[in-house]
Amino acid sequence: MISAPDVVAFTREEELGDELYREPPLPEEYSVPLFPFAGHGANPWAKVASSKFSRDFILISEFSEQVGPQPLLTIPDDAKVPGSFDLNYFSLRIMSVDYQASFVGHPPGCAYPKLNFVEDSKVVLGDSKEGAFAYVHHLTLYDLEARGFVRPFCMAYISADEHKIMQQFQELSAEFSKASECLKTGNRKAFASELEKKLKDLDYTRTVLHNETEIQKKANDKGYYTTQAIEKANELASVEKSIIEHQDLLKQIRSYPYRKLKESDFHPYEPECTLDQAGAGSEQDLAASDPAEPGEMHLYSRLPSYTPKLIKAKPAKCFDKKLKTLEELCDIYFFTQTLDQLHHIERTFRGDVCYLLTNQISRALLKQQNITNFLFEDVSFLDEKAPENRDRGCQGLSQDAADRKCSEESSTPKVVISLGSYKSSVECVPIKMEQDMDDPQEPAMTESITFEHQENLDYLDADLKGSISSGESIEVLGTEKSASGLMKSESQASLPISPSPQVGRSKVGSRRTVSEDSIEVLSTCPSESLIPEDFKASYPSAINEEPYVDDEEGGLRFNPRLNPDNTDEQEDVSNQENLAQIDSACCIGKESPNFLEPLPELGQKQCDEDGVVRIPPQPYRQAEQGLHSSFVGSPPCDSASGGLLPHELDSRYPTAGREVSRTSLDECSDSTSYISSAASTCSDRTPSPAHPVCLANERHKKKAGQNALRFIRQYPFAHPAIYSLLSGRTLVVLGEDEAIVKKLVTALSIFVPNCGAYAKPVKHWVTSPLHVVDFQKWKLIGLQRTVSPAGVNVLHALSRYSRYVSILDADSKTLRCPMYKGTLVARLADHRTQIKRGSTYYMHVQSVLTQLCSKAFLYTFCHHLHLPINERESEESVVNRRMNFLKLHLGLANEDIKIVQYLAELLKLQYIQEPGQGVNPLLRFDYVPSFLYKI
Amino acid sequence: MSALCPPPSPAVAKTEISMNGESPLLAATFAYWDNILGPRVRHIWAPKTDQVLLSDGEITFLANHTLNGEILRNAESGAIDVKFFVLAEKRVIIVSLIFDGNWNGDRSTYGLSIILPQSELAFYLPLHRVCVDRLTHIIRKGRIWMHKERQEHFQKIVLEGTERMEDQGQSIIPMLTGEVIPVMELLSSMKSHSVPEEIDISDTVLNDDDIGDSCHEGFLLNAISSHLQTCGCSVVVGSSAEKVNKIVRTLCLFLTPSERKCSRLCRSESSFKYESGLFVQGLLKDATGSFVLPFRQVMYAPYPTTHIDVDVNTVKQMPPCHEHIYNQRRYMRSELTAFWRANSDEEMSQDPIIHTDESFTPDLNVFQDILHRDTLVKAFLDQIFHLKPGLSLRSTFLAQFLLVLHRKALTLIKYIEDDTQKGKKPFKSLRSLKIDLDLTAEGDLNIIMALAEKIKPGLHSFIFGRPFYISVQERDMLMTF
Repeated sequence: MISAPDVVAFTREEELGDELYREPPLPEEYSVPLFPFAGHGANPWAKVASSKFSRDFILISEFSEQVGPQPLLTIPDDAKVPGSFDLNYFSLRIMSVDYQASFVGHPPGCAYPKLNFVEDSKVVLGDSKEGAFAYVHHLTLYDLEARGFVRPFCMAYISADEHKIMQQFQELSAEFSKASECLKTGNRKAFASELEKKLKDLDYTRTVLHNETEIQKKANDKGYYTTQAIEKANELASVEKSIIEHQDLLKQIRSYPYRKLKESDFHPYEPECTLDQAGAGSEQDLAASDPAEPGEMHLYSRLPSYTPKLIKAKPAKCFDKKLKTLEELCDIYFFTQTLDQLHHIERTFRGDVCYLLTNQISRALLKQQNITNFLFEDVSFLDEKAPENRDRGCQGLSQDAADRKCSEESSTPKVVISLGSYKSSVECVPIKMEQDMDDPQEPAMTESITFEHQENLDYLDADLKGSISSGESIEVLGTEKSASGLMKSESQASLPISPSPQVGRSKVGSRRTVSEDSIEVLSTCPSESLIPEDFKASYPSAINEEPYVDDEEGGLRFNPRLNPDNTDEQEDVSNQENLAQIDSACCIGKESPNFLEPLPELGQKQCDEDGVVRIPPQPYRQAEQGLHSSFVGSPPCDSASGGLLPHELDSRYPTAGREVSRTSLDECSDSTSYISSAASTCSDRTPSPAHPVCLANERHKKKAGQNALRFIRQYPFAHPAIYSLLSGRTLVVLGEDEAIVKKLVTALSIFVPNCGAYAKPVKHWVTSPLHVVDFQKWKLIGLQRTVSPAGVNVLHALSRYSRYVSILDADSKTLRCPMYKGTLVARLADHRTQIKRGSTYYMHVQSVLTQLCSKAFLYTFCHHLHLPINERESEESVVNRRMNFLKLHLGLANEDIKIVQYLAELLKLQYIQEPGQGVNPLLRFDYVPSFLYKI
Repeated sequence: MSALCPPPSPAVAKTEISMNGESPLLAATFAYWDNILGPRVRHIWAPKTDQVLLSDGEITFLANHTLNGEILRNAESGAIDVKFFVLAEKRVIIVSLIFDGNWNGDRSTYGLSIILPQSELAFYLPLHRVCVDRLTHIIRKGRIWMHKERQEHFQKIVLEGTERMEDQGQSIIPMLTGEVIPVMELLSSMKSHSVPEEIDISDTVLNDDDIGDSCHEGFLLNAISSHLQTCGCSVVVGSSAEKVNKIVRTLCLFLTPSERKCSRLCRSESSFKYESGLFVQGLLKDATGSFVLPFRQVMYAPYPTTHIDVDVNTVKQMPPCHEHIYNQRRYMRSELTAFWRANSDEEMSQDPIIHTDESFTPDLNVFQDILHRDTLVKAFLDQIFHLKPGLSLRSTFLAQFLLVLHRKALTLIKYIEDDTQKGKKPFKSLRSLKIDLDLTAEGDLNIIMALAEKIKPGLHSFIFGRPFYISVQERDMLMTF
C-alpha cells in the first residue's frame, strides 16, 4: 500500500550519526509549527480574537492624485470596529498597485481624449503580521477635473479570517460587483451631467468671447489685428476645441452601455425598487429614446435649469483645486444605494464563517426537500437570494455574466432606472431582451417539475387507493361542511380519476376513528376548504372503521380511511379550477359572493345527513358566523379568533397576491384585514439591502430557544406538553399574565409542526372564548384567564373542549394532557441538558426535528408499506406491517408512533396539495384519557 | 539586489511542458523583487501548445504585477502569503505565493505564481486549497535550498577565489519544476475527470433496488461511515474503472458541490497518480493487482484518508484529524530538517528519501480497520432502500440525512463554543456533549466531529489534542529508556 522509497526514508536514521546533531537546527522560520491548532492560546476561534479590529468591516479607499492612497470611509461607520488597526497603512497596501493599468487620457494618434472603460479587478491579499486579510474590489470612477479623468477607488472587505475570504470569494465578488456597478452607474450619470454643464459653460464662454471679438472687430479701424484681438481669437479657438473634446467625451460616456452590452458579461446595475421612483414618465422617456442612435440624443434637453458660467482661460493649478468627494462623484440616489448594498454585504458576511457555510449548505439541501420544509423549516430563509445558489447554473460564464444572469433569474427585471436627467435608457433595453430569452425555459422547467411531481403522485395515489377498500370504518367529519361532500360523492361515483394533484388533495379527506374509550376525529380543512364547493368534494362518503391496533393501550384504533370512490374527482377538478382562479387573483376574488352563498346550507347539512356528531356542541352559531366572516376575508367580529383568518399566511407565502405582512400578523392581527395585509406586503417589497425578516427571525429563534430551554428545565411535564404539539393536539396555555403566557407560547412554538411555513398555527394571546374552528387554525394558543364574567365564558368554553385539547395552566403550573411514554421527546427536551444558550438549544431542536421529518417522510413514501402486497392480503395485515415498520425500522415505540403518523399525515396532505398552496392544520381530536400533571 | 544578481535580460528562461490533455493553466512564473529594478521574472513554465494564449511579455507583465506592492510587505517571519487576483482587464486569474528568502546573499521577496484564464475561475476555486498547499510546501523546501546554496556559494568563493555565475541561484528552478509540473498535471486531470457538481443518484449504489445488489451491505456501510469519519476524504482502488467510479460517485453524494468538484473519477485506460488533497479519487490497480500509495503524499493530505478496495471489499482508515495533523507536521518538520542537514546535491535531490529527526518515528501502518461503529449511516442505509428507486424520493431522503449531519455538526461547534467561551477555557464535558447531542455512539461522534472539522478547522486538536500529545510524549519518553 505504501511505496517503498518512502519507507526507505526511515531506515537511514542510524546512519545520520552524531555529526548531524551538532549542526545548527532548522531555523523556525523555515519550519512549520508542530501544533497549528493547539499551541499556546491557539484554538479554532483564536485567529479572529487576536486581530486588532473587533469584527469584519468594509473599507473604501482612494488613490488620490494629491495625497496618494487614503481611507475614505468604513462600514459600519464606527471607530470601534477598526479599533487600533492602521487604516492608512492598509489603504497604502491595497492601493499601491494599479491593477487596472490601461491607458486613459490622450492616446497617441487620437485627436481627442479617450475614455477607457476599465473593468473591475478583484484581489485577495493579507497582512499576516496584522492578522488582516481582505477581498479588494478595484474600480475606477470618472471625474472631469481629475488627471486623465479617472479616480481609482477600491472597496475592501477586511476580515481576520483568511479562509473566510477565499471560501466566500464568489459570493463576495458577486455582491461587491453589484455595489460597484451601482456606484459606476451613478458616476457615469454625474459625469455626464458635469460634462453637460461644462459644455454649457463653454458654449456661454464662446458666445461671450465671440461677442467680444465682434465688438473688437468693429472697433478696430487700424486694418490689422491687435495683440488683444489675437489673444481673444486664440482663446475662442481653444474654447471651440474644448467644446468638441467635451462633446466627444459626452458621446463616449453615453455610448458606454452600447459597447458594454455587446460584451456577454456586462452586468448593468439594476436597482431593485425602481418602479416606485421612476414612474411612468421616465418609462415613456425611455421608450421614446432611440437606442440605435445614442449619440444623437439632444445634449441639453434633460438638464434642469442651469446658469452657465464664464470659464477662465487659465485653469487653477492642480494642487489648488479641491478634489470631489465620493458623494459628489456619484449621483446621490446611486450613492445611497451603493452604501445600502455595502451595509447589506457587511451584514451578510459578518460573523463566523462556519455559520455562513452551514447556512449555504443547509439552504441548498432544503431546496431539495420542498415537501417536508413546511413542517418545521423557516421558508423565508429559503426565499432569500443565496449568492451561492444564484451562481449555480451559471457555469462557464464569467463571474459578472453569472451575476447578471442569475440576478435576472431571481428577480423580475425592472425596466426603469430613475435617472432623472440622464438619458441612459439604453441600459435597460437588453434586460428585457434577456428576459425574453429566458422565458421559454420557464415552461420547460415547470413541466419537468410537474412531471416528477405527477410521477410521485401516481405512486402515492396508489397507496391511497389501497387503503380505502374496507367498509368497516366509520367516517366522522370534523367540520360543518362535510355532508355536502357525501352527497356529491354518491352521485359521481363512476367518474374517472383525474391524475391532477388537486384531486388527490380531497381524497385524503377527513377520517375518524372510534374505539371503546377513545375516539379520534380527523378532518382536513385546507385553506380553500372554507369554500363550499371544495367541501362538497373533499369528504369521502364512506364511513370507515378500523380496529385500534395499539396493544399497549388495549383500545381500538381506527386508522384513517380513504374514500374508495372516485366520486369527487370531477367535482374537485372544477373546484380546483375555481380555487386556482381565486388564488391567483387578488383578495377581491376571495370576497366574491359566489363563494359565500352555499355556506349556511353546508352548515345545516353537516348535521342532518351524517347523523354523527362531528363537532362538539356549539352554543350558538357564532362559530359559523366567525367562519363566515373569516371566509369572506373581513376581520372577524369578535376577538375570540383573534382576528386571524384561516387563510392567514406567512408573508413569504408564494401565491401571488396572498402575501401577508408577518409583523402585522403577530401583534396587530385583530384589526388586520386581508386587503390591508396584501397592501403591507407590497410595502415589504421595497428594496431592503439587508434581510430584516431574516434578522427578526434570528432574534425570534434565539428568544424562542431561550424560553424553551427555560421551559424544559422548569416544567417537569415538558415532555407530554411537547408531545401534544408534535402529535397535532392543540395545546392551550392559560394564564392571567400576558407576558408569562406569551413567553410560554414562544417557548413551545418551536415544537409546533407547520409553524414557520405557510399557515400560522400559533396564537400568542387570545382573550375571548375559543371555538372549534380555532382549534383547526391554531395548534398552540395563549389564552387569557380573567375573573370577569367574560372570563367565565372563556373558561367555560375551554372546559367544554377540554377533552380534545391539552391545557397548560401557567398560573397553577399544571398540565392536563394525554400521557407520553416515548423516547423521541426525551431526546428533544432533556431537562438535564448542559446546553447553555438558547440559540444552541434551538439548533439542537432543529436537528432532532429534521431527523423526525426524515422518519415521517420515509413512513409516508415507503415502498409497499401502505398497499396490500396481493389481493388476498387483509387490511389488518397491512396495518400490522405499518406498525412493524414504525417499530422495527424506525425504532419507534408507544406515543412516538403517533407523532410520526401525524407528521406523515401532514406530509401526505402537503404532497397532494396544489403545489405552492401549503397545508392547513388538521382539525383533530383525540378522545384519549388526559392526566393532570403538577409541579 | 547585490552585484551577484545576474544582469537584466529581456529573455526570461522558460520551460515548456508537454501535457497529455487540456491544460487549464496558462503559465507559472517565479519572480523576485530586485532592489534596483523592482520586480523581475526569473522563470516561466508554460504548457506546450500550438496556440499561444499569453505571450511571454504578457506573462512577465502579469508576474511583475504580483510582486508590485510587496515593498510594503509586512509578514510574520517565515510566512508564505497567498494573493489571488482576478484581473478582468487581462481576462486572467493569478494565484501568487509570496515569501521572503535568502538568495545569493540578499534577503528578498519572491513570488511563485500560476496564471489561468478567467473563464476557469469556477473550475479553479474548489482546487485552490490543493494547489496552494502543494506549492506552499515546495516553497518551504526551496527556501531552505536557496539558503544553503548561498552558504555553499560563499564557501566556494572562499575556497576557489572565483565566482561562477552559472552556479548562482539556478538550482531552485528544477526543484520548483518538480512540483509545478505535477500541479499542471493535476489541473489537467481534473479538467477531464473531475466529479460533476450534481450527481445523478441513479449512477450510484443508492439506486439499487435493494441494499447489497451492487456491493455487500457491510462493505457499503463501512465505506460510507469511514468516508464520513475521515472528513469525506477517500481513495477508491480497484481493477474495474466502472466499479470504482460507481463507488466514487456514491461517496461524492455525501460531499458538498464544491467538494465534489475537488474529487476525481478513475481513468479507465491507465491510472492517474494519487494526488494529495483531493476529496475522493478513484485509482485503477496495475496489472499485478496493486496500487502503491505514496506515503509522503498521503500524509500531506489535509485530512485523514479512507482506503477502499472494491475488489476485495476492504475499508481501512487513517487516524482521526488531530492525530493525522500531528503526524503530518512531524513528518514535514523531519523532511525539512533533513533538507537543512543534507550535505550534497545528491542528498537534496533524493526527494523521497528523507531523514527523521531524533524523536520521530512515524507509524507506517497508517491505514487501520474501522474501530468505531456508528448508528447514523447504518440507520440511513437500512431506511433508504425502503424508498422506491427511480423517483426523487431517495434524493430527498439523502438531502434530509445530510441536513441532519450538518445541523448536528453546527450544534456541536456551538455547544463547544459556549462551553469553552470561544476556546478561552479547555473543553471538559465531552460526556455531556455526547448525551446532550445524542452522539453516544463513538462512530456518530466521529462523523459529526469530522464534518465540524471541515467548517471549523482545529476542532479535533482543540478537543482531543492535549491528551493525545501528552500520551505521545509519554510514549516517546519511555522509548528513550
